[in-house]
Amino acid sequence: MRPRPRIDVSALETMGFGPRSTLWWGVVSMLAIETTMFALLFATYYYLRGNESIWPPPGGNPPFVPATLCLALLLLSVPPMAIMHRESGNERNLKKMRFWLVVGMAIGLLALGARAAEIAMLPFRWDHHAYGSIVWVTIGMHAIHLLTSGGENILFAVLLFKGPVEDRHLVDLRLNAMYWFVMVVWDVMVYALIYLDPGVLRS
Amino acid sequence: MRGLHSALDAAGPQAGRIEDLWWIFFSVCTVVFLLVLTALLAAVLHSRREKERHRLPGPERNLTRAVGGATAVTVILLLGLLIASVTTGRAVGSPAPSNSLTLEVVGHQWWWEIHYEDPLPSRRFTTANEIHIPVGLPIRIKTRSSDVIHSFWVPSLHGKRDLIPGYPTETWLQADRPGVFRGQCAEFCGAQHANMALVVVAEPPAEFAAWRSAQLQTPPPPATALQQRGQAVFLAMPCPACHTIAGTSAGGRIGPDLTHLASRSTLAAGTLPNTTGHLAGWILDPQTQKPGNQMPAIALQADDLQALLAYLESLR
Amino acid sequence: MSVAERYEPNAGAEADAEEARRLRETWKSRSGLIGFLTETNHKKIAARYLVTAFVFFILGGLEAFVMRLQLARPEAHVVGPDLYNQIFTVHGSTMMFLFGVPVMEAVGIYLVPLMIGTRNMAFPRLNAYSWYVYLIGGLLLYGAFFLNTGPDAGWFCYVPLAGPEYGPGKRVDVWAQLVTFTELAGLAAAVNQVATILKMRAPGMSLSRMPLFVWATLVASVMTIFAMPAVMAASSLLALDRLVATHFFNPAEGGDALLWQHLFWFFGHPEVYIIFIPALGMVSAILPAFTRRPVFGYNAMVLSIVATGFIGFGLWVHHMFATGLPQLGQSFFTAASMMIAIPSGVQIFCWLATLWSGRLRFAPPLLYVLGFVFIFVLGGLTGVMVASVPLDFQLHDTFFVVAHFHYVLIGGAVFPLLGAIYFWFPKMTGRRMFDRLGKWSFWITFVGFNLTFFPMHQLGLQGMPRRIYTYRAETGWGDLNLLATAGAVILALGLLLYLINVLSSWRGGALAGNDPWGAEGLEWSTTSPPPIYNYQHLPTVSGRAPLWEQGDDQPVVVGLRTDRREFLATRLIDAEPDHRDTLPDDAWAPLATAIATAVTFIGVIFTPWALPAGMILTTIALVGWFWPKRDRPRDWMEEQP
Repeated sequence: MRPRPRIDVSALETMGFGPRSTLWWGVVSMLAIETTMFALLFATYYYLRGNESIWPPPGGNPPFVPATLCLALLLLSVPPMAIMHRESGNERNLKKMRFWLVVGMAIGLLALGARAAEIAMLPFRWDHHAYGSIVWVTIGMHAIHLLTSGGENILFAVLLFKGPVEDRHLVDLRLNAMYWFVMVVWDVMVYALIYLDPGVLRS
Repeated sequence: MRGLHSALDAAGPQAGRIEDLWWIFFSVCTVVFLLVLTALLAAVLHSRREKERHRLPGPERNLTRAVGGATAVTVILLLGLLIASVTTGRAVGSPAPSNSLTLEVVGHQWWWEIHYEDPLPSRRFTTANEIHIPVGLPIRIKTRSSDVIHSFWVPSLHGKRDLIPGYPTETWLQADRPGVFRGQCAEFCGAQHANMALVVVAEPPAEFAAWRSAQLQTPPPPATALQQRGQAVFLAMPCPACHTIAGTSAGGRIGPDLTHLASRSTLAAGTLPNTTGHLAGWILDPQTQKPGNQMPAIALQADDLQALLAYLESLR
Repeated sequence: MSVAERYEPNAGAEADAEEARRLRETWKSRSGLIGFLTETNHKKIAARYLVTAFVFFILGGLEAFVMRLQLARPEAHVVGPDLYNQIFTVHGSTMMFLFGVPVMEAVGIYLVPLMIGTRNMAFPRLNAYSWYVYLIGGLLLYGAFFLNTGPDAGWFCYVPLAGPEYGPGKRVDVWAQLVTFTELAGLAAAVNQVATILKMRAPGMSLSRMPLFVWATLVASVMTIFAMPAVMAASSLLALDRLVATHFFNPAEGGDALLWQHLFWFFGHPEVYIIFIPALGMVSAILPAFTRRPVFGYNAMVLSIVATGFIGFGLWVHHMFATGLPQLGQSFFTAASMMIAIPSGVQIFCWLATLWSGRLRFAPPLLYVLGFVFIFVLGGLTGVMVASVPLDFQLHDTFFVVAHFHYVLIGGAVFPLLGAIYFWFPKMTGRRMFDRLGKWSFWITFVGFNLTFFPMHQLGLQGMPRRIYTYRAETGWGDLNLLATAGAVILALGLLLYLINVLSSWRGGALAGNDPWGAEGLEWSTTSPPPIYNYQHLPTVSGRAPLWEQGDDQPVVVGLRTDRREFLATRLIDAEPDHRDTLPDDAWAPLATAIATAVTFIGVIFTPWALPAGMILTTIALVGWFWPKRDRPRDWMEEQP
């Protein structure tokens, strides 16, 4: 029998950035899941709000200052992470990657601190009323993501400093940056939901 | 009670409209099903015997047309059914006419509290598990729940309406002929959901008026000595903690109002017929008949029980 | 020489044997218990998933049988109300969460890599993790059930009955965490499928050449990603209400009982399509072999599956028609619920066209497909009925609905599944199931099913509500209930015969070759069962029916390394080769992470502190999972000055 024609793939490179990689699709799917969760929490917020004539209920508004600080810091962390993302591209400048990751990470830690302060300063508990419940759960869920993506930053920083850094790790690193950016977008939405609520703005 | 709780035995306009809609849907769907079965059978019979080789067909215009045609027919039929549905929905969902008699039905685990409303406070009364309505008059039903979600459903008269805590709603129904119609809770509400039935008695207006006057009256003090003793037993036992009997000091609201207990045909929300024997059994041991319900067993001596029964049976 | 045999290139038999040996070395699992616990091969994990799912199916069936015994006569005393309420809740939860979705995922996990011509799924450890988590969820439910702490508020667990005030104890908390486990597992499997299907297809398998079963798996996976978060959210909010006194569903403090229904059904309706759409894919995969032609109308079939997936998200309020929501809004959901019949109808018509123009071979898989058409169409038509708001006012929460959903789920999902198992059994085990027994089990199952569930339509119309543990004789429901129970006995017999067929053919069935049915898909070109690495040389395709359309000159892929678990990543639309990548070795991390997950979500039933504690444990496990390993040479990046 004649041998079958062959397609030789041995010359192909051994990794791919972005949508070329399976991992990108895995992470994007995970981000879609979490975004859906946030969307459902937002829908729950508005649904519960529709039942009330006074919203937020009397008893204090959520603390504007730490929340705004957190948002500002997260937005501030975007350029350093974006630069780190760029430097991990085809040029692969390890020194710059380290620097900008550490900068982004530090700002992220400050943001986490602001978020913690925000939670501590909430004047109502989750068991006071439905408003308290949804605010605590929404902020809490975002805090968990801030913690997780911040934790990943730390682990990657350890890797970048300790080395050895392989091509494969860069795919992961860039996906971590994507997670970070989406996490920041989620905070924009959470902030708009809770702090730009007309009832909150009025008081 | 057979046939007195059938969606296909409508006794009122809403159930009637729905039943008509049912027959439209049933006919169309049966025809469609038979057509599909015929096509399936034809395909199976039409196929020539299998040969080993597969084939890769080219463009199949006839089949494409057939599939396209079937799809178009499907769309048209669905559109027709949609129109029929929306039309019926509007008819049965219309607001209650202004001359309605208004009832409020409050769901409890596992019984129905019913308030007959009226602009005049002196013409309002409360009962449980049995509703009387005059034939031919629209009945506005306001729904509410005191605990979990229940569902008020009397198939002969109308579809069901959920009783949801925090969500009072309103519907209306009407009986166009006299009869006794059975209903049952149609939303799982816990341990005794299965035993939460109700009875709707539709009667000519004169009889309804008589029933209503009787319900409005406070029962006179018990006439015989046995009944007086029975009333004393009732008030001494835990009964007043949960039950109300107008004209006495018993004002509990946790269980059904017993003021006119003897006028009802069932006990425990349709679980038992209202006879002496069943009433005795119910009082002594409610947990056997309806395990998990909220009424505790009441231990009574035989003569106390007789007296109590005599008293309760006087509450017409 | 069969088509399948022609596929394996034979030039240099000795070099080939050596290559096969190296591939086996690289891809094989470890042996013994360690091998079992660290397994990451999709075929082995799929086998576990299938066995587990069928054990739950049997358990769910036993629960149903007890219900039928209790309802066969009025005021029977087979079980009391408390146990009955647990039984119907556990039955529904088992069938939906522990059987319906997992079994469909299992078939996909087994077949998709084979059908698309690759060696494993994109995330092998995630695959293992999802099975562990699923198993733990099932053990939690049944452990609790056997301790008389089974959930008892229905599989959809409405509040306030399921809330802290009316649902004391831990029963509902068990339900909430069952949901967490099974949804985690389901989401993990869905993410895995999306990445695998989009990036690991054989060169030449563009999206328009993808098998219809793979399309169905893709659509169901995407639906899972957007639907399951809703039930995760709902069950988490319920758990919070019960555990730490939040007020999401408590009307007294601004909460809302209907919020639960919206959140649950936003998941619950797509859920039934997540179960049903892969079954549609199975029908499309089975038919060609038994009609000797590809399924008619490929493009229409793909569009129909995608349309069903989309529209499925717009129906959920039809479960809430009796709540008194505004009429106009409800009518929208009637329209959508009827509209979804259109793509389903298109699929039925295309299959009828395939049957009409094909040359039929009446083996059991085809019989199950024919049975599916009968039962599913009937169920779909009763679905059109309950889609109508006024009709639903009468039919909702009655045995009519019970009949409807058993028709569409058993007809629409279980019958294709039984046909699919029969069809792919030779591929999985190397042996064929017994033909005569297969036909008998089909007919008995078909008759038993209809006898059981058809009378329930009438019972619903006669006023019999759902979820009642008994009824009085005067209701007149006794005779039809007795008939249904008799039918259940026959149905059980049919399914038992099927099980016997599976178990006895496992070792005793006739040996199948690569391609016992003369089918057209790639999976039939490799051995039965496939080697651990699926294909010695990854195939390429140039058409939709590879084994029928392609000849000896269809190229195969060479150049992938055999000393590491290398796979070929191809491009999204046209599946051109893009790059090579490596899959991880077998690992302990999935088990360790699953245990950490279990500690978290079982602990949280008892104390809220389990959540932070569990998260720390899970973090440790995940760090172990993702920590880069350096046990083989890789491409190094030079440190820059």
